[in-house]
Amino acid sequence: MKRFNKLSMMVAVLIVGFLLPLYGQDAATLQQEVDALKPRLSRFLLRGYAHSGFEKFEEGSSFVGGSFNPIFLWQQSDRLLFEAELEVELENGTTRLGLEYANMSFILSKRAIVRVGQFLIPFGIFAERLHPRWINRLPSNPLGFSHGEQVGPSSALGVELRGGAPVGSGKINYSVYVINGPTLNDGSVEAEEVGQLHYDNYEDNNDNKAIGGRLGILPFSSSALELGVSAQMANVGDRGSVYENTGAQLFAVDVSFVKNITPLKSIVDIKAQYNLTRVNRETYTVGTETFRFKNESNAYFVQGVIKPAFVSNTFLQKLELAGRYSALQLAPDAPWGAEKTQWAVSVNYWLDWRTVIKFSYQYTDSPVSEHLEAEGGSGGGGAEEEGGTPLGGAFLVHWSFGF
Amino acid sequence: MKRKTKSILFGLFVGLFAIGSLVLVSCSGSSQLVTEKTGAQLWGENCVRCHNAPSPPSFNDYQWETIALHMRVRASLTEEEVAKIVEFLKMAN
Ligand code: HEC
Repeated sequence: MKRFNKLSMMVAVLIVGFLLPLYGQDAATLQQEVDALKPRLSRFLLRGYAHSGFEKFEEGSSFVGGSFNPIFLWQQSDRLLFEAELEVELENGTTRLGLEYANMSFILSKRAIVRVGQFLIPFGIFAERLHPRWINRLPSNPLGFSHGEQVGPSSALGVELRGGAPVGSGKINYSVYVINGPTLNDGSVEAEEVGQLHYDNYEDNNDNKAIGGRLGILPFSSSALELGVSAQMANVGDRGSVYENTGAQLFAVDVSFVKNITPLKSIVDIKAQYNLTRVNRETYTVGTETFRFKNESNAYFVQGVIKPAFVSNTFLQKLELAGRYSALQLAPDAPWGAEKTQWAVSVNYWLDWRTVIKFSYQYTDSPVSEHLEAEGGSGGGGAEEEGGTPLGGAFLVHWSFGF
Repeated sequence: MKRKTKSILFGLFVGLFAIGSLVLVSCSGSSQLVTEKTGAQLWGENCVRCHNAPSPPSFNDYQWETIALHMRVRASLTEEEVAKIVEFLKMAN
């Protein structure tokens, strides 16, 4: 009891000791202290997102994902920004750490920004704007837009010039870039993928750099509609090989329409993208076999979302309905030729602007199913595993959390 | 052949889409110039185009400045729009 009294006396003395000098402090010093805590030119922001889910494909079901993507933003001045994203993911029982992007942007002028490093490529809109889990309205990526069956690039190392400008009552935005560009599989390593383009080229296989760009046009002052065209050209074969001068031409068109439709008390959001990749016709020799085929692939998706954000019912306000059709055609005469189509619908419930639970059903079909089943239909659930999207129906429930 | 049909269909879709939205947008009578718009209007129209628009209280003034620079780069928004939007977000948070 005595000890307790002593202790409380000491605490009281300490508190008074701390508070007394504060009491005497004038407004100017307080202001000084507040100013000292104010961020100055160099700023740092840590944001990012995480996701996981449950998926039931015809071959089986599994909890999936468990990925965590921290995003680091360092702003060194009004003109200088560094952005980097890591992806920490569970894969086959181990933790995989990936670098999604790491680049520096410098504002050259009102209309021009230069970017160097590894960045998401504005080849269409999916890779650069729509793929993050809290932005993509469906739990899966469209056919042709995920690893294992990718048609078109998503990220690369290089230099880019980009910007936006008002034009008339609307505006435009542009990007031109030089990157390492895709590489061509000549069949010497993964023979079954002979003639395929690979996009993860972080140490160039030849001295020809890919040149590409996108032009976006927003014809209306409401910015509701954006039409985009993208192209990228490069030679893709290995340095010194017979394919060194083999060219690849990639094209994309995209459209986006987002508008608050007053009579529906809803936001309507429609997005679509079409990618086409073309590689010059070559003869490939793998062992004793030779292959020569038209090397052209394409993939597209059309997606619509309706979100009744302006109805009076607070539960309904947080719901949205999303639907997407996507199709993929990989060079039909190639050993890896494939054709698939997919319907996907999802009911999404938003807990806040970046946190969502998606309840979705998708059905993936193929007119050449035997060929595909042998190739990609094995190995359990998971919409984004190597070999591509499994065929048949699937239920996917995902949550993603942005912070 | 099939691929060609698909490409044509897609082209048609884009064309129809452009015409459709032209009609929709011109009916809603919003031909006001971007330069005449307020920060709040620009925020409402632009920040929902890719993701849900974050509301002003989501971040503090300093965070908004960095985010605005990030979005200016990522979304290729014009300098004028971003300046007005940041001003609005900082005032309304
Ligand atoms: C053209 C598409 C697009 C537009 C328009 C857009 N954003 Fe974003 N925004 C993105 C993408 C993509 C990300 C995710 C970045 C990532 O994960 O790499 C993002 C992320 C964010 C984040 C999370 C933090 C960060 O910086 O990554 C905030 C906050 C944000 N946007 C606010 C805004 C505001 C405010 C506007 C309106 C001025 C806006 N966005 C307009 C595409 C867009």
